[in-house]
Amino acid sequence: MALVHKLLNGVYILRKCQMPSAASCLFVGPHFADYCSSSLQKPMVAPGKAGSPQRKTERDLQGHPQREVDLDIISPEEKPEVSFDKAIQDEIKDRFRRLKEDFVNHWIGPEGRPLHEVLLEQAKVVWQFRGKEDLDKWIVTSDKTIGGRSEVFLKMGKNNQSALLYGNLSSEAPQDGESGRSGYCAMISRVPRGTFERKKSYDWSQFNTLYLRVRGDGRPWMVNIREDTDIIQRKNQMYSYFMFTRGGPYWQEVKIPFSKFFFSNQGRVRDAQYQLLLDKISSIGFTLADKVDGPFFLEIDFIGVFADPAHTEEFAYENSPDLNPKLFK
Amino acid sequence: MSWVQAILLARGLSRGWGGICGPTLTGAPFSQVASQVLRGLHCSAATHSSHSDSSLVPDPPELSRRPIKALVPHEELFGQAPSGERDKASFVQAVQNFRQHSVRKRGHVDFIYLALRKMRQYGVERDLAVYNMLLDIFPKEVFRPRSIIQHIFVHYPRQQECGVAVLEQMENHGVMPNKETEFLLIQIFGRKSYPMLKFLRMKLWFSRFKNINPFPVPRDLPQDPVDLAKLGLRHMEPDLSARVTVYQMPLSKDSTGAADPTQPHIVGIQSPDQQAALACHNPARPIFVEGPFSLWLQDKCVYYHILRADLLAPEEREVEEIPEEWNLYYPMQLDLDYGRSSWDDYEFDIEEVEEGPVFAMCMAGAHDQATLAKWIQGLQETNPALARIPVVFRLAGSTGELLAASPGLEEPPPPPPAQGQEEEDDNLQRRQQQGQS
Repeated sequence: MALVHKLLNGVYILRKCQMPSAASCLFVGPHFADYCSSSLQKPMVAPGKAGSPQRKTERDLQGHPQREVDLDIISPEEKPEVSFDKAIQDEIKDRFRRLKEDFVNHWIGPEGRPLHEVLLEQAKVVWQFRGKEDLDKWIVTSDKTIGGRSEVFLKMGKNNQSALLYGNLSSEAPQDGESGRSGYCAMISRVPRGTFERKKSYDWSQFNTLYLRVRGDGRPWMVNIREDTDIIQRKNQMYSYFMFTRGGPYWQEVKIPFSKFFFSNQGRVRDAQYQLLLDKISSIGFTLADKVDGPFFLEIDFIGVFADPAHTEEFAYENSPDLNPKLFK
Repeated sequence: MSWVQAILLARGLSRGWGGICGPTLTGAPFSQVASQVLRGLHCSAATHSSHSDSSLVPDPPELSRRPIKALVPHEELFGQAPSGERDKASFVQAVQNFRQHSVRKRGHVDFIYLALRKMRQYGVERDLAVYNMLLDIFPKEVFRPRSIIQHIFVHYPRQQECGVAVLEQMENHGVMPNKETEFLLIQIFGRKSYPMLKFLRMKLWFSRFKNINPFPVPRDLPQDPVDLAKLGLRHMEPDLSARVTVYQMPLSKDSTGAADPTQPHIVGIQSPDQQAALACHNPARPIFVEGPFSLWLQDKCVYYHILRADLLAPEEREVEEIPEEWNLYYPMQLDLDYGRSSWDDYEFDIEEVEEGPVFAMCMAGAHDQATLAKWIQGLQETNPALARIPVVFRLAGSTGELLAASPGLEEPPPPPPAQGQEEEDDNLQRRQQQGQS
C-alpha cells in the first residue's frame, strides 16, 4: 500500500487514473523485481559439455522466463542504488518512449530504420558493450540456483570498451538428493520488449553467420540460441554450438554459421535434427560447463551477424535411419 | 507345531539363518523360537539382498546392531590389492575376483555401479578396455527381449539403466566406444534396447564433434613445466614464425628432485614482426610487463606475462609508406577490390577495441619482479633496443589475480577480496603509475 501512496504522490499523471491500484500494478508490478531482484528462479539454460552430445539436466528446465524475474548477479564492487521514485519515473519514461517509437518507427521503416538500409544490410552489430546500459541487456546465471558453488559476474571491461564475464566454476554437486552433476555458468540476453511489454524477436533471415569478437582463457564455451515462440512445448528447445577460445592476449574472431547449430530439447540433443530458422530469434546465451574447476573469464567486444557469401551449407547434420526410422519411410 | 518340526524347519532353510538356528537347537520354548524365526525372516531377507551370498561380511542377527554407515556391497573386493596401490592391474583383479566369487553374478548391477565410482581413484576412467570388461560382467543373452510384449515394456529396466550408466560415464570422459562394445551390447541387451540406442547416438555425435576445435590441445599434457610452457606459448601465439626461447631452466636439487624455488623456469616467445616493432619503438614511451594472466590447457591452468606498450594516440601514429620501386618483382601492397559491386559491405558498423601492440610473452615459474627482470635481460640479447626503453612492471598480487588497473591495461581475471599483500602491491602500482604519468 505504501507503493500506491508513493505512486500517487510522486507522479502527477497517475492522479487522473480511475483505478490507481491497477495502474500501479501495470506500471510497477513485473518490473519491480528487476530493480530489487533477489527472488530465485531455476535457470533455463541447460548445462552443456564440449564434445558431449547428450547431457542430462540436473533438473528439468522450467522454460523461458518470460517474466524475467531471475537472479541478477551484479559484480561485488558495485552497489546498485535503489531509488524508488527514480526507478518508477525511469520506468514510465521508458514505456512512453516505446509507445512513441511504435508509432513513429512504422513510418520510417522496419525497426525504425529506412527500408533500403535494412534490405541491403550484410553485417549487423546486434549487441555491443560500450556502456553500462549495454550490460543491462544480459542476465547472468550459475548453478548457485540449484545449490551449486559456481559464481559468475559480469562487468564492464577496461576503458568501457568490452564486457568481462568472470567467475569461478565449481563442479561440486549440490547435496539435494537428485543432482548427480553440477557446475555451469551462463550469460543470456534478455528478450527485447516492445510497447506494453510485448515480446519482440530478432529477424536475422538475411544473415547466415554469427560473429563474435572475444578474448577468452582457453576454455570451451557453448553458444545457445532460443527461438521466439508461444507454444509451451517449444519453450525448452534451443539450438547450440561450441565456441572454443584460444586464450592469450590477442582478440579472437569467432564465426559460427547458423547451419551448424544442432537442436536440443530440455537439455538433450534430439535425434531428429532440423535447421535453425532465423526469422524469430528470441535470445542468445553463452554457457560454460566443461567440468574443470577453477576461475574463468571471457571478454566480449561485440556480437554481430553477417551474411557470409562463401558459406552455402544449409544444415550440417543429417538424420540417421537407425535413430529415426520414421523419417525415412 | 512340535519342537521337532521347528528344528526341521530351521534346518531346512538356507545357511543364511545361522544366527537363529542356535537358540532353536538348544530347545528353547516354541513361542520364543517362533518369534525369533519370524524376526529372523525379516532380518535375513534384508541381509540377503545386500550381502548376496558372501560370507566375507558376517550377517548381524538384529537390525539394531547394524553399523550406522551402511556398507557398500562388494566394497571388500576393491580393498584386496596386495601392495595397496591403485592402478589398472588391481582394478582388473577386483573385477576378476567378483567373477570368481559368484558364478551366478548376483548383485552385478551394484558391483558395476561401485566399479564406475571407483574408476577415478584407480585412474582408469579413460580406458576403453576396462569399460568393455565392465560390460562383460553382465550375463549374456538373458536380458534380450524375446516377444513383442517384452519389447514394448522395458525388459529388465535396472540392467538397462546400468548399461546406460556405463555408457554415460564413457561419454563424460570422452571415450569413444568400439566394435567390441557394440557386440557386447547386442549380446547383452539386444538391438532395440536403450543402451544400444545410446551407443548409436554416441557413435554419431562423437564422430561429428571430434575435430571441431580449431585450437586443439593434446589430451596428455606434458608433465615437465618447461614443455608445458612451450606448448602453452605456441598455443597462444598465432604467428607461426615465432621463436620459443628458454631463458632459464629450473635447477633441480639432486636429493629431492623438486624444482628449486629460487630458480624457476622462464620460457619466452617472440615473433620476428614483434621484434621489428620493438626495434622501432620510441624510447621515450615506457613499455609494460603485465600479468599474470591465466590460460587453461585441458584442465591445467598456467599463467603468462606479456610485454606491451600503450596505444599511440591517433595523431601520433605514422603510416609507413613503402615506395613502389622498392621491389620490382612483385607489389608489396595489393589493394584488390575483388570486383564485387559497390553496395557490398561486410564491415561491422562499430569501432573495434584497439589495444597497444604486444612485443613478447613469457611463462615463468614465479610471478615476481625478479624473475621477470631476468626475462627482460634475456630479451635484451635479441632486442638491443630494449636496453634504452624504460620498463614498468604492472604485476598482480601474490595470489595471481589482477587488480583493476588504469585504462590502457588489459582487463584481467576477477579482483578477489582484498588481502594485505595485494594492497601493498596496489599501492606500489599506483605509485609506479603516478611516477610514470
